[in-house]
Amino acid sequence: MRRTLLASFILIASAQAQAGDSRVFVTNESGDDVSVIDATTAKVIGTIPVGKRPRGIGSSPDGSEIYVAVSGENAIAVIDPVTLKVLRKFDSGPDPETFAVHPNGNLYISNEEHAKASVFNPKTGELVAEIKVGLEPEGVAISPDGTRAIVTSESTNMLHLIAIPEHKIVANILVGARPRAAAFSADGKTAYATSEISGEVKKVDVASGKIIGKMPLADDKAKPKDILPSRDGTQLYVAGGRANRVFVLDEKSLEILHEIPVGNRVWGLALSKDGTRLYSSDGASNQVSVIDTAAHKVVATVPVGEMPWGIALHE
Amino acid sequence: MLRPRPLAGALLAALFATASVAQTPLEVPLAFVGDTAMSAHAGASQGLDEARMQGEFLGQQYRLDAAPADAVAIIAALPAPALLALARQHPDKPVLNIAASDDALRDDCTANLLHVLPSARMARDAIAQWRHHKPGATVEAHAWHPAFEKYAATQLNKRYTARFSQPMDDQAWAGWAAVKMLSDTVAREQTAAPAALLEALRQRLAFDGQKGIDMSFRDDGQLRQPLLLVDATGIVGEAPVRGVVDIEDLDSLGPSSCHTTAK
Repeated sequence: MRRTLLASFILIASAQAQAGDSRVFVTNESGDDVSVIDATTAKVIGTIPVGKRPRGIGSSPDGSEIYVAVSGENAIAVIDPVTLKVLRKFDSGPDPETFAVHPNGNLYISNEEHAKASVFNPKTGELVAEIKVGLEPEGVAISPDGTRAIVTSESTNMLHLIAIPEHKIVANILVGARPRAAAFSADGKTAYATSEISGEVKKVDVASGKIIGKMPLADDKAKPKDILPSRDGTQLYVAGGRANRVFVLDEKSLEILHEIPVGNRVWGLALSKDGTRLYSSDGASNQVSVIDTAAHKVVATVPVGEMPWGIALHE
Repeated sequence: MLRPRPLAGALLAALFATASVAQTPLEVPLAFVGDTAMSAHAGASQGLDEARMQGEFLGQQYRLDAAPADAVAIIAALPAPALLALARQHPDKPVLNIAASDDALRDDCTANLLHVLPSARMARDAIAQWRHHKPGATVEAHAWHPAFEKYAATQLNKRYTARFSQPMDDQAWAGWAAVKMLSDTVAREQTAAPAALLEALRQRLAFDGQKGIDMSFRDDGQLRQPLLLVDATGIVGEAPVRGVVDIEDLDSLGPSSCHTTAK
């Protein structure tokens, strides 16, 4: 008993020391706002109204700005992560669902109802390029070196692998039904994607554009969404959707190593820079779960706004 | 004759080295048999648009106006007797039924006849499940509804309404789904051979019909699918009905007496 108490005390103390003044930003799709959580105290310290149906969220490479896709207003809202004020909004093309931030600062946005991805400079609001993709584009990922993007098209069941800066599609990779999210490995050689209806994870060799691994998630209600590699690259975190769990997969074999129960309909994931904390948005529970990635356990749940969707960290 | 210079050829090869786009597009002629003024045809035309978009990326070319004899698959909006006659006339091709709900067609077990539209028996079972959940409720069961929003149904309804200025009904959904499952099967199997398509549709389909679950065909040729329960106010529920049966148990809706021995 004493040992357990001491252990939890040490766990809490070290979490506080490591977290610093980190903040977690969460879009609330039905609440039309963004909840801001102090990562140290795991308490909401602010709520920022941003407009109708905020979904995708991300940080500028230097951390000075947070971007939010305001789907119902065809706009990107720019938030100051320190003052928590909306600095400006710019037109993003129709129905922006989500986006990825390029190392050069540009946003690669999926326009769900217009079968295209658009590239914007968020400093000027200028449209840099448009890329024609399949129906209902959703997930966007950019390789760490900035030379490749992946856009998933949900209704044509494809991953479009796009060369940057040419903005040309170099491969169209057919995957399971309704691909939703994608991510690159740290070296950019491998990509990972989830398919919602087929309930599986696919692993892709980026150079050849070929599928090199797949794994159905055990629970056929899973409908997975976000996927992220761990900082050391040995594991993958998958938001299990209606399975109400975060799955931890071995990166090589794609075997499920751990299943972490979280709230209902978990979609969004974000990982701290040091890799020790994973945050999940549990949409139907109106909460964010804070996961200790070493212990594979939820260490805090934070009530946020209505239907939390995406998560970004400011560290 | 134009021949690419070696350097240009090498550059071109490098450019396409990672591309999975076929160099010569695969021709996929489909036939539509039925009244082209029906919503079933509008739905199939919507499916054709989307198949063409997928084909642009993956190297297939679709058309919907081929003669049945020249088609790799036939989409039929016909009453039961004419549908059966058509299926028997083209025994080696998939014939996709998008307009007839007759139970007798399912019990008939015609090997190449695939029913995308739900059977009357499925609708009855869906209503019975709903009444078990809410005794006395008066509902209809439908394959689709223009006010359906979940599972990106909103996006499909918007695409269809924008093009045809009419709400998507059951037959329109079935027409869309028929072309879409064919194009998905052609892309996955990399073939447009009728017999191979029929075998893949029957054995390996995992189709996303924008109803939240992957769909496949039963031995009797019926597409397993959830149904929407609708009353005068709009959509009130989905079948399989939660709390009455397992919501993933699509065979709780309208299994037929057909037990084929064909594998």
